[in-house]
Amino acid sequence: MRSSRNVVKRPTMSHQGASGRLRYFFGRAMTNIRQNLFVNAVTVGTITLALLIVALFMLLVVNLENAAESWSERVQVTVYFDRDLASQEQADLQRRIQTLPGTAKVTWVSRDEAFRRFKMRLKGQDTLLEGVRPDILPTSFEIALKRNNRSSEAVEAYVSRLKTLPGIGEIQYGEEWVRRFNTFLTFMRLVGALVGGFLLVPVIFIVSNTIRLTIYARRDELEVMSLVGATRLFIKMPFLIEGLLQGVAGGLLSLLLLVLFYQLFLHNAGNFLTFNPASSGLAFLPVEFMVALVLAGALLGFLGSLTSLRRFMADN
Amino acid sequence: MIQFHAVSLAYQQDATALQNISCRVTKGEFVFLTGPSGAGKTTMLRLIYGALTPTRGQVLIDGQNISRYRRSQLPLLRRSIGVVFQDFKLLQNRTVFENVAITLEVLGWDRGDIGRRVMHILRQMGMESKIHLIPQRLSGGEQQRVALARALVNSPKILLADEPTGNLDDANKQQIMNIFKEANVKGTTVVVATHDRRLIEHAHYRTIRLLGGELAGHEGVGDAVIP
Repeated sequence: MRSSRNVVKRPTMSHQGASGRLRYFFGRAMTNIRQNLFVNAVTVGTITLALLIVALFMLLVVNLENAAESWSERVQVTVYFDRDLASQEQADLQRRIQTLPGTAKVTWVSRDEAFRRFKMRLKGQDTLLEGVRPDILPTSFEIALKRNNRSSEAVEAYVSRLKTLPGIGEIQYGEEWVRRFNTFLTFMRLVGALVGGFLLVPVIFIVSNTIRLTIYARRDELEVMSLVGATRLFIKMPFLIEGLLQGVAGGLLSLLLLVLFYQLFLHNAGNFLTFNPASSGLAFLPVEFMVALVLAGALLGFLGSLTSLRRFMADN
Repeated sequence: MIQFHAVSLAYQQDATALQNISCRVTKGEFVFLTGPSGAGKTTMLRLIYGALTPTRGQVLIDGQNISRYRRSQLPLLRRSIGVVFQDFKLLQNRTVFENVAITLEVLGWDRGDIGRRVMHILRQMGMESKIHLIPQRLSGGEQQRVALARALVNSPKILLADEPTGNLDDANKQQIMNIFKEANVKGTTVVVATHDRRLIEHAHYRTIRLLGGELAGHEGVGDAVIP
């Protein structure tokens, strides 16, 4: 549309260029937050509570995984020899086992060490061992496996590789225990994924509906912006940034609450638990989980705003 | 400037809002759209600023068929059209100043220029002492003047007003009409939808009359109907 009429001279644009525009959108989002404090507080509160539920569940899973990890250290392979080895042979074999993929640590167990352990097990009934000499027990290697090699399939594969080495006699690795432990781990992870999934669905539902309501309350703004000629991106951006900020704030607040609950639990658990959780290896969320929680909040806020905007802007 | 070519619009198959409307508003003209409630006045205005698309026919602005505009083209059209609504459509959580500034923010004006221009238009409207108030604190007439300031702040080529004096007393009506006339004198094409006969009679501008979604005639100078 062209007009010869003298329209108001269009001055320089303050938010030309990507960074200028982003600065403008960010400023607009901050102003919107200030002007709609209550609505924003409701959204941040909802995201906080929703993420806190997820974070509590994550804390539980992390600690169960930690417990499983420490139990899995009991998965170890004991190697006996088909004959007595000279010390050079033993050193060579130890080196070869050490280089096998999956080996974490190889420990030599001498006859004396084996006898000492045996006596420890029979504590209180030492008299049974009178007259028994240490050299009746065989020497062995005890092999600790790397974390990724503790499943029953991996252990079996490792053992079959081990059998190919010369001088190896009997190999023990508690097949039944490894199998049962792995079944337990799989079951625990499956239940974790299921419960997590069931938790996540209502969390996403609640958060997206809260954001939808807050945007619905401000639909006039969407309409007016559209009527004065704002592009869809121009209208959406401050809302999306607002959603992102609400999500980050919700994520950080849920983390803060989680820390508070965790500390409260550590200090008061002694009153109602028979063990001291502070010294039992209970752990807080690792850093990457904390970052993931805040990012999940940001994503929730952003996507919640995006889907709600899509819905309401279709009308204009 | 604004042309309707055999425009029909049906909200649903059996509910026709406009029926075969053909008319033209020339550049710099002041036109009243009149008719009883439900005649199709608001629908015609909405077609001009692209909020509705005709079921049949064409709406042309400066020779461009806006009925074929993609959604991404509408913002550019709307930046050259100021719209005033009966219910004002002011943002209740923003001040008078912010409500007017929004038009220029959308255009990407520099903040300093926005401040100067907004103050200038609000001074013209006699609202400079109320820039810090939110719309709820204003009277109906004042709210209407803010809505007008928002519509006129970027000197649009076209000004559309839907029942702009609907809830105002005579003094306020006159004040609003004067602002319309002033904008028109400066070159803005003005289309005012109203069923207020007294307003039309006092103003002596061309009138396009609608009845039940059909063109019922025109009064005054100009060629309203293209046969």
